[in-house]
Amino acid sequence: MIKKFLRSRGLRKLLSNRLAIAALGVIGLYTGIGFAVFLGAITEKDTEARVWTDSYPGYPHHQTAEKRLDNCEVILSRVMRVLETEGELSEVAFAERSVSDASIEELTQKVQAGLALYEEIADTVGSLNDNPEVLPRIEQLEGFVDDVYTPLTGWSSLVYDFRLFFGTDRQGRSILIRGIYSIKVAIQVGVVVALIAVLFGSVLGAAAAFFGGWVDHLVIWLYSTFSSIPHLVLLTLLAFMFLGHPLETTLIPLYVAFCLTFWIGPCRVIRGEALKIKELEYVQAATAVGFGRFTILWKHILPNTSHLMFINFSLLFIGAIKSEVILTFLGLGIKDGASWGIMISQSQAEVLNGFFWQIGVATALMVGLVLAFNILTDALQDAFDPKHV
Amino acid sequence: MSETNTTSAAPSILKVRHLTTRFKTDRGIVTAVDDVSFDLAPGETLGIVGESGCGKTVTSKSIMRLLPPRVTIIDEKSDIQFQGLNLARVPEKTMRTVRGDKIAMIFQEPMTALNPVFTIGWQLDEAIKYHLDLDKKQRRERAIEMLRLVEMPNPEKRIKEYPHQLSGGMRQRVMIAMALCCEPDILIADEPTTALDVTIQAQILRLMEDLKRKLNTAIMLITHDLGVVAQVCDRVLVMYAGRVIEEGPVHDLFHRPRHPYTRALLRSIPKSGRKEHGKRLPAIEGIVPSLTELPDGCRFQDRCELREQRCIDEEPELIPGPDRRPVRCHFPLDGGS
Amino acid sequence: MALIEVRDLDKHFPVRGGFLNRVVGHVHAVNQVSFDIKRGEILGVVGESGCGKSTLGKTMIRLLEPTRGSMRYEGQDITELSHAELMPFRRKAQIIFQDPYSSLNPRQTVREIIGEAVRFHRIVPRDQEEGYIIDLIQKVGLRADAREKFPHEFSGGQRQRIGIARALSVKPDFIVADEPVSALDVSIQAQVLNLLMDLKDEFGLTLMFISHDLKVIEHFCDRVLVMYLGHVVEEMNCIDLQDSASHPYTQALLGANPINDPSDRRPLTVLEGDVPSPFDMPPGCPFAGRCPHQIELVPMRADAHIGIAPLDAGPSIQAIRRFLGQCMQEMPPLETYVEGHRVACYAVDAEAVGAAASR
Repeated sequence: MIKKFLRSRGLRKLLSNRLAIAALGVIGLYTGIGFAVFLGAITEKDTEARVWTDSYPGYPHHQTAEKRLDNCEVILSRVMRVLETEGELSEVAFAERSVSDASIEELTQKVQAGLALYEEIADTVGSLNDNPEVLPRIEQLEGFVDDVYTPLTGWSSLVYDFRLFFGTDRQGRSILIRGIYSIKVAIQVGVVVALIAVLFGSVLGAAAAFFGGWVDHLVIWLYSTFSSIPHLVLLTLLAFMFLGHPLETTLIPLYVAFCLTFWIGPCRVIRGEALKIKELEYVQAATAVGFGRFTILWKHILPNTSHLMFINFSLLFIGAIKSEVILTFLGLGIKDGASWGIMISQSQAEVLNGFFWQIGVATALMVGLVLAFNILTDALQDAFDPKHV
Repeated sequence: MSETNTTSAAPSILKVRHLTTRFKTDRGIVTAVDDVSFDLAPGETLGIVGESGCGKTVTSKSIMRLLPPRVTIIDEKSDIQFQGLNLARVPEKTMRTVRGDKIAMIFQEPMTALNPVFTIGWQLDEAIKYHLDLDKKQRRERAIEMLRLVEMPNPEKRIKEYPHQLSGGMRQRVMIAMALCCEPDILIADEPTTALDVTIQAQILRLMEDLKRKLNTAIMLITHDLGVVAQVCDRVLVMYAGRVIEEGPVHDLFHRPRHPYTRALLRSIPKSGRKEHGKRLPAIEGIVPSLTELPDGCRFQDRCELREQRCIDEEPELIPGPDRRPVRCHFPLDGGS
Repeated sequence: MALIEVRDLDKHFPVRGGFLNRVVGHVHAVNQVSFDIKRGEILGVVGESGCGKSTLGKTMIRLLEPTRGSMRYEGQDITELSHAELMPFRRKAQIIFQDPYSSLNPRQTVREIIGEAVRFHRIVPRDQEEGYIIDLIQKVGLRADAREKFPHEFSGGQRQRIGIARALSVKPDFIVADEPVSALDVSIQAQVLNLLMDLKDEFGLTLMFISHDLKVIEHFCDRVLVMYLGHVVEEMNCIDLQDSASHPYTQALLGANPINDPSDRRPLTVLEGDVPSPFDMPPGCPFAGRCPHQIELVPMRADAHIGIAPLDAGPSIQAIRRFLGQCMQEMPPLETYVEGHRVACYAVDAEAVGAAASR
């Protein structure tokens, strides 16, 4: 089977298409990252971890002087509050950064000095943002903040910078980590939905075409009925059905909803193709040899619809990812954890305040994957259609 | 049918010289038509014969410039002289005034050449409107007249019908009517009867014969059916693997073929009569070489009975033989078939 | 005894239409066809597109279910057999198709195409399979290394050879060849016809050869059935087809065929009109609407080349009545005039057919 595929004309044609190779490369990269996440390179806990203060989204060092000043104040006064109430210092830790293990007095001293510096800078007359003299002093203040926490060295410093590369959301969670983790979620949704829908639809479609009669009538009735229900209404209905169910927070409701509507496409296409193939002479030749109907369906009809299955898989994969984002944005899809849909829906308020980091990262990652798959779908269509000799 | 051997005296209306057409393909550039030259006289029927892939259709489409421009290269040295124009070089805009108006073409499958969503009256009207300056009523009359010319029964009724309501033979008549509505000087017929049954083929061939006599149109008939050529053509061009290998008046070519391929082709047709019945046919063994892997020498070498070392080493030129019978062979035949 | 006896075979296709997609009528693709095929002969079937010749061929090997009538193979009625009961017959009877492109599964290698039937019917033990396939491939004129290739790597003629190898792979006795050379170039046509002739002798095959090309049939077959709109209108030996053809349709087919000789130019016989639709078939002779006897009674009958009753004195009142009345009302029966020569035409009589045959 594999040997045959490797020698096939379609593969040769696909590999001679440079754009398709690039798309394959991009998809490979995404899949690799997704797989690494799946193996535990980034856990769900990482996506929830706070890496910066929860007040100001965006990359800290890209912020205005005023925002940077405020950030320092927020952090320092939080530590101060814990110190004053003798609470647990671990509460104010974020990411790998815990409060340094110096004595309480020493810490208090440093925090107080920092806060004093803050007051001093804050009292400067005029706009801070346009004042070049203020910047070195803010950096000095940020030095105080760093002193309060354990110093980061080597690898952990790199990791920390990486996490902060695109800044954080309003809860102080790393945008980059959440975006990358969402690749896994997207691929998972895409693969599961596309696989189930294509297999289910193809088998139904091919069987309908080949056996005809009441089988055909039943399948046509099924897909006409399903396709006459508006997609979103069905999905909303399912979302409400699972409301309060223990499975509500998992991806299962989403899978069910997508598979129920997505199988129609491949079913229609494969049925049409199988109807054509059924009349071809090689199928008649197989009948003349005496093969049973299932053998003919399995050996002569299904393999010759495989290019359509490929293409439909690719189309549904994209469709599932996009629908997941839309539904989640509407609050009907994924309820918990990280996904591009959640990120985009959460970034609404940020965008109003002028912070585009979160929506930008989520959209860019999604567009990259969808575009690559679109290109691949077209290339597959060209390469594997047996009619294009 | 009388012998209308007009070729020698009459000035030619179309002069093709060194026509070379290449295609860009996945496997590199392929030369589909290689250095083809011929003349066409007014009122003459020229047959272009050959097997699939020999370049006969590409030749006609090169003259009409109907090949996809992005993948087609018509070589610099190609020269297609028609009414003072070099059709290989003129801009597309000029070509549009030639196509349909002065040179018309009919195709093998009339169903795909007609638009299924319009009535045949509408399609005829479009063709007339584009080339002739007539008002609506005149155009309708012209359309009916053309359909009557191609012996379409009930033309007044038929112009309201759609292509799918007509049989294959009737559709081909409509195509011919459309091709002839501007009284072109040249009609290129690309396998016009291949998709039709013999009894319908007979109707169409008779029709083309009549029209030629009435309108004095020069016809380029592209076909693989030697029977059709024998019955209809005045002169024949035999093509093989992109090259012209033999040319001559139909009589001479059928009775005294000079190229081994022509002779073998004529012999391989089943013959009627008691003597030949049930005998093995003298077939040409092997297959036409692929245009991507042409041999260095003669292109027919692998299948030729008369092959010698020279045929493998060098490709023969088209030798202008006696009686205007050029042949591309190192060892041309001179005997009978 | 004949290898195959076909009696009163009908094949009708339902035509659906209207709002409820009900069956509104039937196309009579094959109508009341009866004939025998002797062991070892080549029976030609000729006719224009839509005459039912392919349907007849496919019904013969039960690719299509006959509507009525019976087919006997070696004396056994195969019309009613179930899928399982049909297996021995499936081994004996095979088919070769016209289109070398759609007749081979593009996703199978040549070995799989040929080998699957061999394995299914256990023609040879598993360990000899490879050798058997190589042998077959070479017999049809391809190189042994062809078996690992896919159909698209071959030319039309070579693909047709693969189709022939597939049909031969189960060691059949009877093969229906459905226009096997129509899609091929002239030079390849001759190769494939020669191959079929050789294989017929080597394997002792009986062939039913379907074609629209009377020239090929005349050269290649022993006997021919001429079909028009689902009816057999004439059956005769091929060897003297030119002279003995008696049905006006057969004569028209012969006359319309362009002769391969530029010095023998003659006006091709032109039949007026088109083949009527098989859906609303007129009663009577299906050819009546285009029959030259109908249109021009006198001149055509005076033509010496056709074997119909001489009418030197012009058409008699009886003759006109016979042609106009009977032809339009009733299908003429297929009558045997001379041994092995049957014609279905009111305008033909025994004397004329006999005279034609003796010429």
